[in-house]
Amino acid sequence: MTRFPPDWLARNRDLVLAQLREHLELTLLTVLIAVAITIPLALLARRLPRLRTPLLALTGTLYTIPSLALFVLLVAVTGLSRTTALIGLVAYSLLILLRNILVALEGVPAEVRDAAVAMGHTPRQLLWRVEAPLALPVALAGVRLATVSTIGLVTVTALIGYGGLGRLFLIGFQRRNGTALLTGFALSLLLAVAADLALARLERRLTPWAEAAPARTGGAT
Amino acid sequence: MTALWRWLADPAHWSGPNGLAQRLGEHVGYAAAATAFAAVLVLPVALWIGHTGRGRLLAIQVGNLGRAIPTFGLILAAFTLFGYGLTPVYVALVALAVPPILVNTVAGIRQVDPEIVEAARGMGMTEPQVLWRVELPIALPVLMAGIRTSAVQVVATATLAAVIGLGGLGRPIVDGLAQGVTYNPAARAMVLAGALGVALLSVLTEWGLAAVERRLAATRGGATHWNITD
Amino acid sequence: MRLIRKGAHRGRWVALLALVLLVAGCSGGDTAGDDPTETAEEFERGAITVGSTDFSEQEIVASMYAAVLEDAGYDVERRFHLGSREVVLPALEKGDIDLYPEYVGTALEFLNGGKGEATSDTEATTEKLREAFAAKDIAVLEPAEAQDRNGLVVTKETADELDLETVSDLKEHAAELVFGGPPECPQRPLCLQGYERVYELKFKEFRPLDAAGPITWAALEQGDIDVALMFTSQGVIADKGWVLLAEDEELQPAENIVPVVRTDALTDEVEELLNAVSAKLTTEAISGLNRQVDSDGADPAEVAEAWLREEGLLD
Repeated sequence: MTRFPPDWLARNRDLVLAQLREHLELTLLTVLIAVAITIPLALLARRLPRLRTPLLALTGTLYTIPSLALFVLLVAVTGLSRTTALIGLVAYSLLILLRNILVALEGVPAEVRDAAVAMGHTPRQLLWRVEAPLALPVALAGVRLATVSTIGLVTVTALIGYGGLGRLFLIGFQRRNGTALLTGFALSLLLAVAADLALARLERRLTPWAEAAPARTGGAT
Repeated sequence: MTALWRWLADPAHWSGPNGLAQRLGEHVGYAAAATAFAAVLVLPVALWIGHTGRGRLLAIQVGNLGRAIPTFGLILAAFTLFGYGLTPVYVALVALAVPPILVNTVAGIRQVDPEIVEAARGMGMTEPQVLWRVELPIALPVLMAGIRTSAVQVVATATLAAVIGLGGLGRPIVDGLAQGVTYNPAARAMVLAGALGVALLSVLTEWGLAAVERRLAATRGGATHWNITD
Repeated sequence: MRLIRKGAHRGRWVALLALVLLVAGCSGGDTAGDDPTETAEEFERGAITVGSTDFSEQEIVASMYAAVLEDAGYDVERRFHLGSREVVLPALEKGDIDLYPEYVGTALEFLNGGKGEATSDTEATTEKLREAFAAKDIAVLEPAEAQDRNGLVVTKETADELDLETVSDLKEHAAELVFGGPPECPQRPLCLQGYERVYELKFKEFRPLDAAGPITWAALEQGDIDVALMFTSQGVIADKGWVLLAEDEELQPAENIVPVVRTDALTDEVEELLNAVSAKLTTEAISGLNRQVDSDGADPAEVAEAWLREEGLLD
């Protein structure tokens, strides 16, 4: 028998704001850490092509482990701490980011690279002046995907004591409180959509030369 | 790790209503049914949208929105509405499966070279024939990629069924957590077993559907050519 | 393009990366404010983390503890619904939380591996519990009068159909009945293990659900399970017209509610405040509060605080 107490939101404003903040913190930290890890990895894979497959395989394997299981297993090691949540969240972003950054770097047309080398660019200049700018759109698309997926995954950490807005789902579920559930749901949905839109706009702003790309093989990575 | 092998080697853990075999079967069942249902639900609409071009912006928005929906929240909300049972599981999993299929199908059809479509019309084909015999075969790889993405996501997410008291490979994970992963090696083994099961299923699904994709592409004999005598 | 023009800008990228890693490193720690080197005296009105396991009574009682501590000036962090005891007790040992409400009988049997030391004698059981926890640097305060034991519940229809009044009545029917309870039930000496041993109940099937929460109620209501593991202080049993079977054998011991606190978080004041709550907490009181939350959908914290005010424990 689910109730929808209309004043729940007003009475629990602090809780909702605290959970929203937790959600934002976890998401931001996750994406920053994941990017910080992935960029060097991608550059390494670019320098040593042999590493490409193993790296993708490793991050890919992490990705196939169901998120809930990874969090639960981490509890055995790092307890009910925020570290547990972060390790799991970062692990899931790694594949998306790595794959996208690698594809982005490889997507630079060979002719452009050859032309740049012919013009006398050193490998380092090649990377920073030519490849990175051209790879930015696809790489940013990866960051966008990773961010939206992290926002969803943060809610699952409610089962190990965190959850951000996911905690509101749990509260609503356990107390048969529809308002709490809806609030959590709506806010996380809004957050994901807002992040998606904001990052899409950033993508367009930073890469004015990129034409609207023809639909790639779908929303799939 | 040895605790895991010992746990897996014990036949008691495989049989019975709470055994791994049962959980595996349940998991495959949830995932397959949800993906299939999503495909059946969405494909006709998506094909039409792709072919006529009408509503494609809406389709993209729905696709984006779908990606933003927190599945965990959806399953809990559905439980609150429908109670204990399979309905909430399917509501959540189908909602998860729809966006990639929708987006990919629309994109795949839109990507077909308009000259080919015009040529087909010029040959006297009706609109449904154009869609069926020309656009769909060409778009098939992209379409299948969408189904494949959906299927893999659904396999991973079906673990959430356990959170509302149902089965699947999420059950050993949730039960293991409740039984204490910190001090209980058997509980840890259970969680690992569930995790590996899902990982394995994910990989098998990915490969299996990729193989189906390749087979379909091969029998079509090339993506851009179709035989006039067909 | 602004971002990447000259080689000199590369240095900025490195700096940015370093900053990111630094920020991540600094804020990647726990939010629970516990420093194991602080002694009990230095912990004056510092931060305390109150935890709870995963059912509403726990949240109500934990909210009481949190409210009185906060009222006295402590900086209280609430981490409720963390999971089963198997999850929460390690968290307490580790310091992820500082205290939570326990039940003297089950806690003792949990720590001693099901030896059967818990009896219906509250004082004796509590003493043994203190000994068991002492090795872990965890203090057991004064137990409340309120008790909450495990119990088996069936619907009225089932009770009428099979003529069930006591748990022993289940014995001859168990093989056709589906039993639902929390996932940790099969390994708990006072849960399924105990019922199998003492009452010789062999159920047809065990369904892992939740700790007498919404999943269990729904499953029982819908007939997906026949017998549910619930808690004796849950008013929802009576509200739904369900039948709590009487325990006619010696299985469930004393289960008084008691706060268990890490010694490095325990000051005399904390002890006094929490004991004051326990002194007034009766089974009747907690059952009433449970009912408000479970059946009427009230907020556990509000219900707890209202009760505390009534009892003069909170201004």
